[in-house]
Amino acid sequence: MIFVTGPLFAGKREYIRTALGWTEEELAQRAVWDVQDLAAGQAEDLEVLAQTLAHHEVVIATEVGGGVVPVSAHQRQSREAAGRLACLLAQRAEVVVRVCCGLPQVLKGEQP
Amino acid sequence: MFTLVIGGAASGKSEYAEGHVLTLPGRRLYIATMEPWDGECRARISRHQAARAHRQFHTLECYRNLPGVTLEPGGNVLLECMGNLVANELYHPQGAGADRAIQGVEHLLTQCDHLTVVTNEVFSGGAAYEGDTLFYLKELARVNRHLARRADKVVELVCGLPNVLKGGGG
Repeated sequence: MIFVTGPLFAGKREYIRTALGWTEEELAQRAVWDVQDLAAGQAEDLEVLAQTLAHHEVVIATEVGGGVVPVSAHQRQSREAAGRLACLLAQRAEVVVRVCCGLPQVLKGEQP
Repeated sequence: MFTLVIGGAASGKSEYAEGHVLTLPGRRLYIATMEPWDGECRARISRHQAARAHRQFHTLECYRNLPGVTLEPGGNVLLECMGNLVANELYHPQGAGADRAIQGVEHLLTQCDHLTVVTNEVFSGGAAYEGDTLFYLKELARVNRHLARRADKVVELVCGLPNVLKGGGG
């Protein structure tokens, strides 16, 4: 599994399409994205969620933990769950790439 | 050696920082800066305590006035985290401002062989802040820049993986 992370609109999906030579249709079938949104409310089952997601060839998450600590407890929990999910996915991935303004930085494994 | 570890929420900062300290020789002191003022803080503190229970750290709680701390010379110190210490110095009635946190780090550097400081990346969620929040961000950012200049090694944590910004060597 390749795990791709990075800020909002950084070109994560475009990077994968280019690197793997996939069409939009292939991306939709073989990858899953915005998984940070799945973490909210799943705090107890993040391991299970990570294990399920890791069956995809590519898993993409937007980094959401780099802002000011939210005032709302729910939002604090959501972004912490997103962060923990990202750590669990990175552990399971053969390759981890962070994309910033369209540029990939390989954090684990070899560039796909 | 002085190592600075930075990252966003649940990015694996503590895990990395504690693992880093375990590779170094000598005693291990953990300086905890989060004041347990509500249930959420206490739960967070308990989670961190459980995570490092088997790692043989002595723990010292210090919420403010780090320059007032006297340590046995030598060994390792892990300070977690700067985001709380700066907030405490800025907003507690007995706080003395962000410079006191910087002075505290300088003070620790004179007393230990290896200092590791964990700080927060809270600067990537927008720029439309004002008042206390804006002031806090500016002050913590100033402290972080100072620490990064002083540090031998600076590591950003991204989904649990280290991204070395200064000092190389993983």
